Amino acid sequence: MKKTKLLVLTTIITAGLFLISWIVPQEQKKGEPWEIPEMYKKMENPYKDDVSLNKVGKMLYAKHCKSCHGNRGLGDGPMAKNLETFSGDFSSEEFQNQSDGVLFYKSFIGRDEMPNYEKKITDDEDRWAIINFLRTFKK
Amino acid sequence: MKKFIIVIISIIFSINSAYTQEEEKKKDKPVRSPFGSGILIDNQTCEIPTAKTLEMLIQHRFGKMDNGIKDIWGIYSPGANIRIGFNYSILDNLMIGYGLTGRKMQSDLQVKWNIIQQTRKNTIPVAVTLYGNIAIDGRDKENEGIWGVNYKFSNRLSYFSQLIVGRKFTDWLSIQLTASFTHYNLIDSISDHDKIGIGINGRARISSQSSIIFQYDAPLKIKGISEHHEFINPSKPNFAIGWEISTSTHAFQIYITTADGILPQEIYMFNRNDWTKGFSNLMFGFTITRLWSF
Repeated sequence: MKKTKLLVLTTIITAGLFLISWIVPQEQKKGEPWEIPEMYKKMENPYKDDVSLNKVGKMLYAKHCKSCHGNRGLGDGPMAKNLETFSGDFSSEEFQNQSDGVLFYKSFIGRDEMPNYEKKITDDEDRWAIINFLRTFKK
Repeated sequence: MKKFIIVIISIIFSINSAYTQEEEKKKDKPVRSPFGSGILIDNQTCEIPTAKTLEMLIQHRFGKMDNGIKDIWGIYSPGANIRIGFNYSILDNLMIGYGLTGRKMQSDLQVKWNIIQQTRKNTIPVAVTLYGNIAIDGRDKENEGIWGVNYKFSNRLSYFSQLIVGRKFTDWLSIQLTASFTHYNLIDSISDHDKIGIGINGRARISSQSSIIFQYDAPLKIKGISEHHEFINPSKPNFAIGWEISTSTHAFQIYITTADGILPQEIYMFNRNDWTKGFSNLMFGFTITRLWSF
């Protein structure tokens, strides 16, 4: 009898906590400023305006980035809510004002919750194709 | 005259060096991901994750679909089969792996070598891959029904080797043709120790992450390598069709298939299900892969 009571109580508490988790807003913090090495700040995009890579960038973004950053780069992908840090609004002026080299560093070297993608996207042409695609999110 | 020769030689050298630079610039790279994963239902693909990547696979086969709603088309029926495996890419084109399959408790060791990769500008039009494995039957050695009275460890072994030629035809379509050789050290008295098979498989991408995948593998009845005058109840072709979702670190495949074995030698040698006979010979299956880069 005691065991049954305990089981019922545990179930109620678990269910309650589960339901509360839907109500309590979970604020995501804004990331600290990035420290970008000088090399990347000066880095030129050799494939800038290369329209032949449009499709490649779109496909690779969908495969590697979309689950967190969302369809339109608004940081609203299905995995985004599991992150402690807001993954950024790629359509914003603040984001788009960054140089290609800076975006390259942030995208492929990464830090903390933003994983390193050097092993997953090995070809430089593919990496720049993604950077070019990020530019299409500009409002 | 001497000056003239020097001028000619220097012109030739400068042309040659310019040409070499141009060549380097235009170096033809391998095609971008012809397949979503290193495995396509039961078959290997020409895809190998980059060096120092660990891959975990869970391959699952449910029961047959003939009970319909009673056991949700085999999903809740007994008789499921599962393989959990780990692969490691030593080089960008060389992978080794180990797996354990529930049926027969078979441990397998495997190697896949991507000999040639298809290139973007068609300098090399196809990818050529070699795959081989050795499997060890892990069932109890006291079981005379399986091993007979003279148990020998070597009777547990079976081998499979396969040549895979694949091509990514367009951004959305990749097809592979395969030829394979299977050998079992111990086999029942009406079957052959060796089996040659051919197959075709491929994927048709329907969105950036989803693809339709299919395979058809046919064991051949070749008199020349048979140990019997006629083929009694020979193994049947294996057909499967499914859907694949592939992301950065995962691939998920769900399919309807004929073969309840998971290792390729089990399928080519022992599959007696006939996909043309409908639900009683078909089952659901799925495969999940996860990659970790080091």
